[in-house]
Amino acid sequence: MSKREHLLKIGVSGIRGVVGEFLTPALACAFAQAFGTYTGRGRVILGRDTRSSGPMLEHAVTCGLLSAGCDVVQVGVLPTPTIQMYVAATGALGGIALTASHNPPEYNALKLFNEQGQFFNHYERGELIDLFHQGEFTDAGNFGLGSISQEYSTPARMHFDRVLKCVNRDRIRQRNFHAAIDAVNGAGSILTPHFLEQELGCRLEAISVDPTQPFPREAEPTPQSLGDLKELMKRTGAEIGFAQDPDGDRLAVAKPDGTLLDNDEVLALVVDAVLSRMPGNVVVNLTSSSVIDEVAAWHGCKVFRSAVGEANVVERMLAHKAVIGGEGSNGGIIFPTVHYCRDSYTGMAFLLDRMAETGLGITELAARLPKFYRVSTKVPFQHGRLAGIIQATEARFPDAKADRTDGLKLIWPDGAWLHVRGSNTEPLMRLSVESRDAERTQVLMKAGTDILGS
Amino acid sequence: MASLRISQVGVRGVVGRGGITASHALDFGAAFATFLATDGPVVIARDPRASGLMLREGLVAALLAAGRDVIDLGIASTPVIQHTIRQRQAAGGVSISASHNAAEWNALKFFGPLGTYLTTAEADELLDIYHLRRFYAAPWNKLGRVEMDSSAIDRYLDELSEVFHFDRLRQFRVVVDCSNGTSSRILRRLNERFGFSLILINATMDGRFAHEPSTSARVVGLQLAPLVQPLSADAGFLFDADSDRVAFATELGEPASEELILPMLADYLLPRSEGKIVLTNISTTSLNEEVAGWHGGKVVRVPVGRNAAIDALNAHRPEQIALAGEGTGAVMMPQFRFVYDGIATMLTLLEKCAAQQQPLSQLVAAMPGYSMLKGEVPLSRHKIPQLLELLATSFGEVSINRQDGLRVDLPSGRWGQNAWFHVRVSQTEPFVRVIAEARGTAPRDLFDEVMETTRAHA
Repeated sequence: MSKREHLLKIGVSGIRGVVGEFLTPALACAFAQAFGTYTGRGRVILGRDTRSSGPMLEHAVTCGLLSAGCDVVQVGVLPTPTIQMYVAATGALGGIALTASHNPPEYNALKLFNEQGQFFNHYERGELIDLFHQGEFTDAGNFGLGSISQEYSTPARMHFDRVLKCVNRDRIRQRNFHAAIDAVNGAGSILTPHFLEQELGCRLEAISVDPTQPFPREAEPTPQSLGDLKELMKRTGAEIGFAQDPDGDRLAVAKPDGTLLDNDEVLALVVDAVLSRMPGNVVVNLTSSSVIDEVAAWHGCKVFRSAVGEANVVERMLAHKAVIGGEGSNGGIIFPTVHYCRDSYTGMAFLLDRMAETGLGITELAARLPKFYRVSTKVPFQHGRLAGIIQATEARFPDAKADRTDGLKLIWPDGAWLHVRGSNTEPLMRLSVESRDAERTQVLMKAGTDILGS
Repeated sequence: MASLRISQVGVRGVVGRGGITASHALDFGAAFATFLATDGPVVIARDPRASGLMLREGLVAALLAAGRDVIDLGIASTPVIQHTIRQRQAAGGVSISASHNAAEWNALKFFGPLGTYLTTAEADELLDIYHLRRFYAAPWNKLGRVEMDSSAIDRYLDELSEVFHFDRLRQFRVVVDCSNGTSSRILRRLNERFGFSLILINATMDGRFAHEPSTSARVVGLQLAPLVQPLSADAGFLFDADSDRVAFATELGEPASEELILPMLADYLLPRSEGKIVLTNISTTSLNEEVAGWHGGKVVRVPVGRNAAIDALNAHRPEQIALAGEGTGAVMMPQFRFVYDGIATMLTLLEKCAAQQQPLSQLVAAMPGYSMLKGEVPLSRHKIPQLLELLATSFGEVSINRQDGLRVDLPSGRWGQNAWFHVRVSQTEPFVRVIAEARGTAPRDLFDEVMETTRAHA
């Protein structure tokens, strides 16, 4: 397999690739011009995370948008959810966030939002990609070109106000929580300490909050990447620890002993908190744990499942008028009252509010959740192999029910499941397995990896 | 109609489809970064055209992606870019300006590490890289950074103040038509910092042009010339959008031919300069030869275009050259390291007034009268060699110059004194240009005959 393969991907999340030979300014400009042609003349919000390629791509995308006749509102370094909300709140025609989210620092991407500040749906996306390939962009003449303006302070204020309205801020502040944050030197570096200290009255231990420095750890907040946070928790005795990805949409949560909650547990605790106030439908992706179903059942609420990817979850949430949703598999919490987007700030606020409300620590709250054993793994993607793997997997387990919404998910009558799919963002195949029994999970995982490895 | 022209001069066109677009800014930016031979930043600036921002964004993105730091001067003239390249020891520079073209045009022009236009060979190499499209891309963690440099204009003025005696020049009362271009910002600073009393008109820089920013006697006559006498001014000067060219009106409010600027400066500089060569292209007035003759100087003529001028400059030792210029009001002087600079040209003309203690109208009157006729004929490319051959052989014993199209110098007699004509293909528009000139009255018969022959081959 050549190393050049798939270092650029144009698909579900917009356009994403390794900066340099693959994600070039010319490509970013052309894509932005296609986007601006699609939205038409009007305001488009442009923000970014702290990646070193951010300023370069900001210039390229601004060029493309101006050419398409769009007025560019540059909001600078901001979390992706903040950008999405600002698009919707200001009546802009769309928005672009320059971020490769949890991908490594050599990657960058254009995340595209419609006028509601949401990811484009499946059909909008198809239309935009067609437009991009057709190359029939608006090339405005001298007097039709757009303008550039900057708006750096109001978007974050608006975001925080929306989140804070949904929780009991006073009771959180009264607790004066001892909290920790690892912002990976990303878009949350400045805003998240402000949010936790000034808005929510935490005593804060902060690391990796310098937006001028490179990511000090792997961008994706995982148990393997958050050793520094663990160390900080143990050293300072903080009650709860938070970790963000570079664009602040994903959230990981650490217990006082420094170990991480499973992302599904974090989502389950937020689902519980939301449904206890406003019962309603829940939407999570296929790879999210069944713990969500159990928690929803406590409140007599239904869970619907979507393909993996924020855009897919949001599409289903809109269809089912869900009150809460997310992706347990990757730490995304979507609470429509704030906005239809993954938002780590909503997650932080709800968890602190739940702790203040119950008087329990994060460890105790998590211990009340039903226990599932879930493991996942990833292998390099090879063209043409996924279909064969899906066939072989289904044939190997004729006793399970098959769901082909996104790759193949096999579900057994006892609730155990196995899910194999191709990543939307990286050249990887992902395999996840879950059951109520640790040993059964291991057996299923072994069977799955045997098929992937063969 | 498609307006795009990609040539040794750079890329130029009406902004939008069929003309200059975002992709040209990105691809030429990438090609230029790939082309540059030395390390160092790239200096850029733009004129106030509305499309300047869009092209800047694309250009900056491409340069950063190639690992080049960018020094952005904002809205500044082409000469200021060229000065800054040397001062900041940059690897090169790019000017975003369609200079004398109308507001809806724009262009990219490229400069090497000495701040001069590219030579013909360099310009060819840049075009080859552009067409080959194998651009250098820096690794993701080695991208460039942008620096805004707002003091470049002040440093440029400091340099001018060392060459000129500002205390002798600020006495002049001068009206300046900035053509809504970059000279507005520079001359405002000249007033503020050095006590000049230049009266600026068309000095807003919002991307709208009060008139075509062309340095010709015709445009000088539109708004500037009628203001000179009512304002009791000593002169009126007009700049193009990027301030590398200038035109003027005398204190009597009479527009002067743009062709006069080079010979008037030659008259002033030749006696004061070690160099005796006046370098110009083959389309400019023969008055240059007559004036050079007064001072023991010599005119060297080269093909039209800035690359050719740079090639010729490089082929001479700097001390051999007194000055170089076009008939458009663009003049380069050695004390400014051979940068076409309209503002330095204006200051030199004022210095000449001061030195000779004569008003501009008398300096103009001291120049022997030459009359030039210009025309253009739509192009039919395959007949051009045939046309040029016919013209070269139809006028008997003549002096022939085939460096760029055909220039024919005729013996004095039937067609007048010092009569000549030049037929060439325009680099920027789809025309054959015809020029005829003679000392004294215009060579109407000669011009008509050449035009007729040319039209017959259109």
